[in-house]
Amino acid sequence: MSAEVANGVAPRNAPISSRAAATGAHIIERVLIYAALALWTFIALFPLYWTLSTSFKLGRDVTQGHLIPWLDFQPSWKGFQSLGLSPDTIFAHSNVRDEFLNKFFNSVICSLGASALAVVIGSLAAYGLSRFDYKFGVWRNKDISFFFLSQLILPPVVLAMPFLILYKELALLDTRIGLILVYTLMVLPIVIWVMRDQFDTIPNEIEQAALVDGCSIWGAFFRIVLPIAMPGMVAAFILSIVLCWNEYFFASLLTGFDAQTLPVMVASQTGSQGINWWTMAALSTAAIAPLVLIGIFLERYIVMGLTAGSGK
Amino acid sequence: MASVDVDKVRKSYGPLEVIHSVSVNIVDGEFVILVGPSGCGKSTLLRMIAGLESITAGDIRIGERIVNHLPPKDRDIAMVFQNYALYPHKTVAENMGFALKLRHASKAEIETRVRRAAEILDLIPYLSRYPRQLSGGQRQRVAMGRAIVRDPKVFLFDEPLSNLDAKLRVQMRAEIKELHQRLKTTTIYVTHDQVEAMTMADRIVVMRDGIVEQAGLPLDLYDQPANLFVAGFIGSPSMNFLKGAIRVNGKPSFVTEDGVTLPLASAPAGADGRPCIYGVRPEHLTLGGDVKVEVSVIEPTGSETQVFAKIGPQKIVGVFRERVSTKPGETLLVTPNVDAVHLFDSATGARLQ
Repeated sequence: MSAEVANGVAPRNAPISSRAAATGAHIIERVLIYAALALWTFIALFPLYWTLSTSFKLGRDVTQGHLIPWLDFQPSWKGFQSLGLSPDTIFAHSNVRDEFLNKFFNSVICSLGASALAVVIGSLAAYGLSRFDYKFGVWRNKDISFFFLSQLILPPVVLAMPFLILYKELALLDTRIGLILVYTLMVLPIVIWVMRDQFDTIPNEIEQAALVDGCSIWGAFFRIVLPIAMPGMVAAFILSIVLCWNEYFFASLLTGFDAQTLPVMVASQTGSQGINWWTMAALSTAAIAPLVLIGIFLERYIVMGLTAGSGK
Repeated sequence: MASVDVDKVRKSYGPLEVIHSVSVNIVDGEFVILVGPSGCGKSTLLRMIAGLESITAGDIRIGERIVNHLPPKDRDIAMVFQNYALYPHKTVAENMGFALKLRHASKAEIETRVRRAAEILDLIPYLSRYPRQLSGGQRQRVAMGRAIVRDPKVFLFDEPLSNLDAKLRVQMRAEIKELHQRLKTTTIYVTHDQVEAMTMADRIVVMRDGIVEQAGLPLDLYDQPANLFVAGFIGSPSMNFLKGAIRVNGKPSFVTEDGVTLPLASAPAGADGRPCIYGVRPEHLTLGGDVKVEVSVIEPTGSETQVFAKIGPQKIVGVFRERVSTKPGETLLVTPNVDAVHLFDSATGARLQ
């Protein structure tokens, strides 16, 4: 375009119109991109909105599909009232609230406990896989890594009976410890893979420099390798928490009452007298809230950890 | 500061021996360069001195102490790695002070010593930056700073300049040499670049395939290479090698396989007819004389002219200080400087005189 102007071959107005055309195409492109992004945002956020709004609805509003508060329906605290979490019941005694809080803390303890355990064990395993060459029969590091990952392919249903029998024998049924152990097992493959990638990006020479500088092998691991691998550990930890927090199958299978977690409580709202949509929605809102906060505040760590090694 | 003695050291990985009984004695304060093509075992040897690789057989002594089984931290060495290996989560000052911190030096002492090292290396403005905010040359300096802060017995350098561009490499070469003259710490430096070796070293150890081919002063290696490998490795462009045999017919001379006669100053006794290899460096050819070569490529660099040519089918390179007016395909007359001619045994490659 500028070449045409420079040698004066093109008519004077030609570059301007082509520039206008280019700008037009650019605008259309932007509009399409933003439209697509807006659509996807809507698809992603609508279920959250639906859950949140339903928790403020009465039965009539739910069945008639009212969506917009104050226009379609008048918000009410009924859902939260039945949980003892509405403003007028929050200071009164409530058995449901006690039960909810019990499940909530079960979820917190099981998710945090399992994630912490998985990150510790998984990081050590990943460090080994990243730094040493193992021979385990015909297996090498690659095969061992794949063995860990292959655990995810196995449908959990297959493990239902064995775990039930095993936990019964070990008296781990309906205990938080039992749930923590099975969740650790469940998220370990992911932690190992994330952490192995993380350790692979740390050059051996950095550790060797630490050894020469005066660290012992453990010193080099704790003072140099771990801090560098921290973003990956945080990402693995958060992923684990999300997975454990949402887990339903083992929670419903291996717990009865004492160690029951939130997903099981949400699911159990489908009683014989029909479904208490508002209670269920209020419960779901309370169950989703911590994950939403994690998503908002820790998202950048997840991205940092998962994209480690994909570029400089 | 200390001497370093490597005594009949071997290194095997399973059945594969990569270092075959290497002995090198490095005196206190010396700057020794281990040089050789990649895979010759020079880095492995350095890492064994550092304690990062185990020793299969033999002894390594730093000072009077055998360090075979000491972990790196107890050997009182400092090492600069090829990729610098800076701690990415620590600032320049923390990187440099880390070793002192591990030795429980006081905060004030760490700061003084880091500052002194940073002054030597022009790093004062960068002390609070992180490695990722520095250029390659600055990172290189930080890596050196990390080594000199500690005042160790021995510096180990593992190809420290190979990640830098050509200009910076020349500059850092001079800086490292100056640093050594100033600190006088025993230094072992690994490189595959013979120019680095020639320009920096007090003494060069040329290695190949896990053995020491020759060790000596840089100019001795240049003037008296012990074998074909060292002769070809040291010097750039490398030495010309011509196959042929010695003829003693009153005056000794050398006849190539294709019947071209080249002058010799002297020949070993009873060498008449002995097949051997005639070595002459490109810079030891002069224009004019009676040896005819067929020019194939001419490369003028301004200060000198490189001429690639052939004697019969054998290739030869000449470097001339003067401008050469010739064209590819033409015949050029040259003379080898008979005092700088080397003869090597055809079978063993060993030097004959």
